[in-house]
Amino acid sequence: MKIYQCDQCEYASVSDKYRCPSCGTGQLQEKELSSKGSVYSYTDIHIAPAEFAHLAPYTVALVQLDEAPVKVTVRMSSGVKIGDTVDLDHLEDGAYIYSKC
Amino acid sequence: MTNVYIEGIGMTKFGKFVDRSMKSLLLDACVEALEDAGNPKVDAVFVGNFMGGSISNQEILGAIVANELGLGYVPTAKVEGACASGGIALRQGIMGILSGEYETVLVAGVEKMKHASTADVTQAINAAMDTDSNEKQAGLTFPGFFGVLANRYFHETDATKEHLAMIALKNRENALNNPLAQFQKPTTMDEIMSARIITSPLGLFDCSPTTDGAAALIISNKKGKIHIRSSAQSSGPTQMQDADDLLSLPAVRESGRMAYEKAGVGPEDIDVVEIHDCFSMTEMIATEELGFFRKREGWLAVEQGRTKATGDKPVNTSGGLLSRGHPIGATGIAQIYHLVRQLRGTAPNQVEGARLALAQNLGGTGSYSTVHILERL
Repeated sequence: MKIYQCDQCEYASVSDKYRCPSCGTGQLQEKELSSKGSVYSYTDIHIAPAEFAHLAPYTVALVQLDEAPVKVTVRMSSGVKIGDTVDLDHLEDGAYIYSKC
Repeated sequence: MTNVYIEGIGMTKFGKFVDRSMKSLLLDACVEALEDAGNPKVDAVFVGNFMGGSISNQEILGAIVANELGLGYVPTAKVEGACASGGIALRQGIMGILSGEYETVLVAGVEKMKHASTADVTQAINAAMDTDSNEKQAGLTFPGFFGVLANRYFHETDATKEHLAMIALKNRENALNNPLAQFQKPTTMDEIMSARIITSPLGLFDCSPTTDGAAALIISNKKGKIHIRSSAQSSGPTQMQDADDLLSLPAVRESGRMAYEKAGVGPEDIDVVEIHDCFSMTEMIATEELGFFRKREGWLAVEQGRTKATGDKPVNTSGGLLSRGHPIGATGIAQIYHLVRQLRGTAPNQVEGARLALAQNLGGTGSYSTVHILERL
């Protein structure tokens, strides 16, 4: 799992930014770490936009990574509850697909 | 403090108007506001609108208003800021007067959504997310974001789905007295709690509807009875995964803080509030971010009935987005329309003696927020 860590402050994010949104001056540096984490929160989406309608109902979770103060929005391969341990299963059209450990 | 006053207001009924064009709704609201203000000379026009281009293939709404209403070759613009398009349009008008360039500005908002399918409208609304992101590709939606937020709120507090239902019920009860509101059918806690799930734990009644409608204001530097005491706007994170605190909407907090500071008042001074309740959960969080209640305690205020029209901090006496309806670009203007009526003493669910009113308009999943504080002179 790639994350982006500011070279001037504590800020880190799963998405790259042109400049650090926290300190405004630092550059984000790419870092590789474990994709394992736990479910911070989630929702089961029953009504979906046209491009995801064929998947509904599906679960989207906000996952807290174990190795960094970074959260990642993922689609789950099954239902979850807060605190469940999860890990990356595969990438699909730019989305992280996670499953329960 | 601004030197800007609200001279006139106009609003169509909100609902489903398949036979009406976006243009005719917009013009109806504008004409009503112009007549309410005594048909003054207008120096500029700003129109809040979000999906006219994508759903109706119609832009240039500013120029259409100026031409159809014979306002002359005045400068006009359409303003897009997702669901905060209306609030930002109003702020552009205020800034134009504050700059000295204009004396009187027509500010309007409009949306036409009911002719499109739910899947197409949901898709168009998703344009207000950062679509070049893993988050959008995961299938997150707007109701999805507030569903994730609600589940975490329930985890960290003693709040439950019933507290969200109480908000939905309150706003519906308020709408029953507002003839311009979209939903005028009474409901019950049972019906709300058992409604079909949209994005768990949010059910149908926790989500604002799609709506057709328009609203308009005439603002001016000529001293009048309704003073815009302050106008503030902020941005916030555009992705859920980038939030420092999931149970916070920094744009709402910051726009509120600046609006209070500029107006020289605090949350305790506000008599009546219109909040951007795109979802029941959003109203709960926004009441905390605007300082009406402590963080993580908005649900207690709901339980105690403090946000009802008869409570000490009446929120969404118009019915809010949940029941007045949410024609996206018109919403920020409709909030002001209702608060002006509160300050004039002619509103549905009138709050006796209301003098200070606050409107908060949200765009995206917390990407934009505007706050306006109005005062009866």
